[in-house]
Amino acid sequence: MNPPGVYEGVANVIAALMLLLEFGMLRQALIRDQVRLYTAQSALISVLAIVIAANRNLPELYVLAALSAALKVVAVPLVLRRLLGSRIGAEGAGVAGSYTLSPASAVLVAIGLAAFGFFCFGSMGFHSRQAPETALAIAAAMVFVAFGLMIVRRDVASQAIGFFSLENAISLASLVVAAGLPLLLETGFLFDLLLAVVVFGMLIRSHHSRSESLSTTDLTRLRG
Amino acid sequence: MSAAVPIPVIQLLQVLTVAIAAPWVTGVIARVEARLQGRRGPRVLQPYYDLGKLLRKEALAPQGASWFFLAAPVVAVAAYLTIPLLIPVLTTYGLPLGYMGDILGGGFLLALASFVVAVAALETGSPYAQLGSSRAKTFSAITEPVVLFVVFTVALLTGTDLPYALAATVRSSAGEVVRPAHLLASAALFMVILHETGRIPVETHTGTNEFGMIEEARPFEHSGPYFALLTWGSELKQLILFTILADVFVVPWGLASTQRLGAVLLAIVALLAKATAVGVVVAVIDNSFAKLRLFKITEYASAAFLLAVIGVFTLYLGGGA
Repeated sequence: MNPPGVYEGVANVIAALMLLLEFGMLRQALIRDQVRLYTAQSALISVLAIVIAANRNLPELYVLAALSAALKVVAVPLVLRRLLGSRIGAEGAGVAGSYTLSPASAVLVAIGLAAFGFFCFGSMGFHSRQAPETALAIAAAMVFVAFGLMIVRRDVASQAIGFFSLENAISLASLVVAAGLPLLLETGFLFDLLLAVVVFGMLIRSHHSRSESLSTTDLTRLRG
Repeated sequence: MSAAVPIPVIQLLQVLTVAIAAPWVTGVIARVEARLQGRRGPRVLQPYYDLGKLLRKEALAPQGASWFFLAAPVVAVAAYLTIPLLIPVLTTYGLPLGYMGDILGGGFLLALASFVVAVAALETGSPYAQLGSSRAKTFSAITEPVVLFVVFTVALLTGTDLPYALAATVRSSAGEVVRPAHLLASAALFMVILHETGRIPVETHTGTNEFGMIEEARPFEHSGPYFALLTWGSELKQLILFTILADVFVVPWGLASTQRLGAVLLAIVALLAKATAVGVVVAVIDNSFAKLRLFKITEYASAAFLLAVIGVFTLYLGGGA
């Protein structure tokens, strides 16, 4: 097996770290810490954009990195914290009981999902000029783990975080597949995310004001 | 300083270095740990004095214990002293006996040592010793998959399972160093080592608090020279694991590539420095995290397993990066 170069190695390591942070969100018990992990993951994708920009000489990626950092590292976590508010935040430390599986089993299940993601994209034999294909396989694994996160946690806040990190995974994939994508399109994606944040924020608040908790288990009692 | 050292002497030096330096590393860790807690702490050489004192004491065995009880510490230490022959301690080139076993061979020796100590603990009939050995065996079954996946990573990276080959691969280019599989496997191995040397997640290293007692409980009934051998054995195991982490995975630089005396001496100094550095990191980690409840250990093991598995995935399913 030929060793890849330093650039590919660094890009893959950043992608792998993002995947590990996704797993961290899966087992993290506090919303506050989940938001923190999400912030770190978003910072990593900006770093990756800068690495690709510097190495492949794509100056517009610097703009994208700055935009994405401003939005996902600063704005989204800020808005999330605001919307969750001090009241929900304080008790809402309590999403710890929202596991449907124990943390260790959740991780094992998610490893299975990640394997499926790796396998799907690894077997496609995809090649990209901008970034290594392993990063694409990692992005696929991240998508599946984010879905897993939304499924195994029964609280609205974790599900929102899962959705936002899903967007991170897709940004990672788009960085690998189409780093030269027109900037306007990428910016459009980012504003979609902002919209999703507001919608999810409203959802969390209205759910909390109706059921006095962030848990979605009450929703199963609803009948049409 | 340009005199060549005969190969058998280097081979002997590998074992002697590990044998003599092991208590020193333990002493350094204890010292750093005490400093972090605001205590002055014991002398760095204290473990040697402890061993010396124990060696002079009388040996007692519980009633009904067979010869195995007394043979176990000797077998364990013999197994630990064989491992430095198999791993790169001082040289980049494999010594004649270095190819008599691969990583799995080293793993078998570690397992054999741990097994005979556990059986000896069962011989005593003491609840503490049995509790320790039962826990040690249960939890090593949980961390075993992690070690296996680390070995798989090594196999995929080098095409062999020789520790010398991995060290050479890591040295060969910067691209190999930043490969995600290599970094993830090193991190997973480090987590296993933290557990195996009784630091994190549940044990208090020197404590006799039975809630988190594993390593300290097993030699509970041994005394005198036999207890000294067991203590020395666990210090040897610690240094061997640190050496594997440093010389095979993380920093396989500073080893002697020739037989010259200067290079070999430099390698000894480098090994001590690396082991001490790993020890300091371990002490800092040990002091900065709260211990988990005993049965939360599966969460720790699953985190280590995650690292190792993702490492294999990036190689095997992700296009071979």
